[in-house]
Amino acid sequence: MAQGAVHHEPHHEVSIWPLPIGVGVLLMPISFTMFFHYGWQLPGLIAGGVGLALILVGAAGWANEHFTAEKEEGFGWVGILSFIISEVVIFGTLFAAFWTARVTHADEWSAWVPEGISLGMAGILTLILWASSFTIFRAETALEEEGDSGKALTWVFLTFALGLTFVVLHVKEWIHLWGEGFTLSSHMYGTGFYALTGLHTSHVIVGLIAQIYAMWLLASGRMNREKPTMLRATSAYWHFVDVMWMLVAGTAYLVGTAAL
Amino acid sequence: MREAISVPYLKAGLKEWIFTTDHKKIGILYLTTTYIFFLVAGLFGLVIRFEQNSPGYQIVPPDFYNYLLTGHGAVLLLWWGIASHIGGLGNFLLPLMIGAKDVAFPRLNALSWWAFFGASVLVLLTLIPGNHIKMMWTGYPPYAGNPDAGVTALYVFIIHLIGVSSIATAVNFITTYIKMRAPGITFWNTNMFVHALIAANVIQLVGVPSIAGAVTMLLLDTYLGTNFYNPAKGGDPLIYQNVFWFYSHPVVYVMILPIFGMFSEIVSTFSRKPLFGYTSMIFAIWCITFLSFIVWIHHMFVSGVPDWARVLMSYTTILIAVPTGIKIFNWMGTLYKGAIILRVPMLYALGGIFMFLIGGLTGIPNAMVAIDLGISDSLFIVGHFHYVLGMALTFGIFGGITYWFPKMTGRMYPENIGKLSFWLIFAGANIFYFFQMIAGILGNPRRYPDYPPIPEWVTLHHIQTIGALILGVGILVYTVGLIKGLTSGEEASDNPWESQSLEWRLPSPAPVDNFGDEPPKVEPDYHPYKYGAPPAF
Repeated sequence: MAQGAVHHEPHHEVSIWPLPIGVGVLLMPISFTMFFHYGWQLPGLIAGGVGLALILVGAAGWANEHFTAEKEEGFGWVGILSFIISEVVIFGTLFAAFWTARVTHADEWSAWVPEGISLGMAGILTLILWASSFTIFRAETALEEEGDSGKALTWVFLTFALGLTFVVLHVKEWIHLWGEGFTLSSHMYGTGFYALTGLHTSHVIVGLIAQIYAMWLLASGRMNREKPTMLRATSAYWHFVDVMWMLVAGTAYLVGTAAL
Repeated sequence: MREAISVPYLKAGLKEWIFTTDHKKIGILYLTTTYIFFLVAGLFGLVIRFEQNSPGYQIVPPDFYNYLLTGHGAVLLLWWGIASHIGGLGNFLLPLMIGAKDVAFPRLNALSWWAFFGASVLVLLTLIPGNHIKMMWTGYPPYAGNPDAGVTALYVFIIHLIGVSSIATAVNFITTYIKMRAPGITFWNTNMFVHALIAANVIQLVGVPSIAGAVTMLLLDTYLGTNFYNPAKGGDPLIYQNVFWFYSHPVVYVMILPIFGMFSEIVSTFSRKPLFGYTSMIFAIWCITFLSFIVWIHHMFVSGVPDWARVLMSYTTILIAVPTGIKIFNWMGTLYKGAIILRVPMLYALGGIFMFLIGGLTGIPNAMVAIDLGISDSLFIVGHFHYVLGMALTFGIFGGITYWFPKMTGRMYPENIGKLSFWLIFAGANIFYFFQMIAGILGNPRRYPDYPPIPEWVTLHHIQTIGALILGVGILVYTVGLIKGLTSGEEASDNPWESQSLEWRLPSPAPVDNFGDEPPKVEPDYHPYKYGAPPAF
C-alpha cells in the first residue's frame, strides 16, 4: 500500500482494520475454551459471536480500503501461491494420520466401512468441482483477455452455484452417514473421513466467500482488466481446492472403502 | 481510515503505534514484547534451577514445576527463538536491506503482529492458577489430553495463533523479497541476514501447518472425541510425534539461520573484510533448509520407530554438520588476517559462534542412535540445546540488537556495559550448561524436579546454580544497558560501524518512509560486504 500512495512529505500510512480482526481472532480460542473446557456455554457463544462479528467488520473495512485507495501491484499472486503451499501441508497431516491407520489396521478396517457410503456420490461431487474449475477459468480469461467484466461476473456466478451445490450435497451425505452410526468418534475411519472431508469443505466455503467478494468487486466496477489479481488469486485457490478434492475423495472414499 | 504520519516513528503517539502498518514500528513492537517475555521466562528458568539445586522439593510443588518448565520452553522457543528476530529484527531490516519502502502486505504484517499479540495474551491467561498448562512445550498425547496436564485448549490455541502469525509473516516476507528489491539488489548481492531470513520463512511456510495439524488433532481428540491418537480405535499417538517434529525440528533452523545471518553481517563488518565464501554461505543455508525436513526421527529414537528410519535419519542428521561446518569455516576465513575490532556486537557474535560450536559438536553424538539411546532424556540433551540454541541464539540476538541499535533508536548502545554483560553472560552460560551436560552423562534425567542425593550430582547442580546466577546478572546488566542506551546513549552517526550495507546509508534512526518515494540507487558493483579487497568469490 505504501508504494501506491503519492504524498510529498515523509509519511507512513496507518490502518485501523488489522486490529479488530486481530481481536476477533483472539476471541475465537477464548470462546472455544470457555465453551468446551469450562462448559460456560453462554459466555462462550457470546465471545465467539463478538469475535466473528469483529472479523467480518474488519475484513469488510480492509477490503474496502484496499480497493478504493490503492494501485494494483500484483503482489497478491505470489502471496496466494505461497499460502497454498502451506495449505497443502495442513492436508498432509490428516493424510498421514488416515493412511497410517489404514495400513496398520488393515485387518479390522472392513468392519468399519458403513453400508451407505457410495462411490457414486463421490463421483457426482467430483464432476461438480471439475465443472466449477472450468467455469472459473473462463471467468479469468473473460476478464484478463477480453476485459469483459459482465461475462466474467456470469462465469463466477456459475462457479459459485456449482460450489454451493457441492456443499449442500456433501452436507446431506454427512447427515445420511452419521444417521447410520458412522460418526466422528466411532473409529479411525469415521475420524479420518469427517476430518478430511470437513477440512476440505471448510476450504470450499472459504472459496465461496472469496467468490462472493469477487462478484461484488466485478459488479461495482472495482475489479477490471487492470486490477485482476483478486480474481486470479480466487481462481488459483479454487483450483487448489479442486485438486485437493481428488486426493481427499481418493483417500476418504476409494482407499477407505476398497478391500485391501 | 488512512492518513499521513510524518512524526518520526519513535516519537509517534499511541494511536500510531496501535494502528501502524510500518514495518519498523511493528518490528520494534515484536522486539519489545519478546524481550519482556524472554526476561519472564528466564526467571522461570531461575526458579527451576533453584528447585534443582539440591535433592528433594525445595521451593515449588512438582505440579507447579511442570508449569514452569512448560512455560520456560514454550516462551523461549516460540517468543524469543522465533518472534524476536523474524518478527522483530527481520521486520525492521528486511525492507531496509533490499531498498523497499515496506513489506509487500503492510496490513497483513500488522495482522501478524495482532495474532502474535493474541497468542501472548493467551500465554498470560495461563498464569491464572486454574489455567496452568503442564504438558511441556511438546504436548505429547496421551498425557496432553489428560486433565492433569492443564487446559489443553489453551496450549493448542497458543500454537495456532503463533502459527497464523508465522504463516502470514512468511507469505509476506517471501513476496517482499521476490517482488520488492530495489534495482541492482540481486540474489548474488543480498545481505546474508536476508538470505537466512527468507530460508527461515520458507521453513515456516512448509512447517508451521504441520504442527498446526498435530495440535488440531490433539484438540479434536480431547474435546470432540475423535480417535487420531487413540490406539483402541485405530489411532496412533506416534502420528503426533511424527507430525509435530516434522515442523519442530526444522524450526530450530528457523531460529538459528537468521542468527547465522547476523553473525555473517557482524563478523564481516568488524573484520573489515569481505565475507569469506559468500556463495558457499548461500549454498549452505539452502542445504540446511532442505535437510532440516528429513531428520525429524532423531527426536524419536526411543519412541519405537523402525530401525531403517532411525539409521536413515541418523545419517541425514550428521550430514547437516557439513553445511553448518562450511559456515563456521567461512566465519573463520573472514576473521583470518582481518583487522578485527572487538566492539560489543563483535564480542557477542564471536561468543555466539563459540557457543554454537560447542553445541554443534555435542550434537553429533546425539545424532548417533547407539549413543542417543543412552543419553536420551538426560540433562546432557538439555545442556546441548542450551548451547546450540539457547545461548547461540541469545548471543546472536543480543549482538544484533547492539549492532542495529543506532539504526533503530539513533543512539549507541553503551560500550562498557555491553562488554561487562558479555563477559558475565559468557562465563555464566559456560559454567551452567557445560556442567549440566556432565550431570547428564552421569545419568541425571531431564524434566524431574527431584533426584537422588548422589554426591557428584549435588556438586554439579551447585556449580550450575552459580553459573545460572552469573548468567542472570549478565542479562540484567545487558537490560540496564538497553535502557541507558535508549535514554542517554551517545547520539549515533548514520553509519557508526562504517558498514557497506544498504541499510546504513539511511539516517539514524531510520526515517519513517525509508528511502522515500523512489527506490534507492545502488552502484552497479554494490555488495554489502565490500570492505577493502574485492569480494572473495
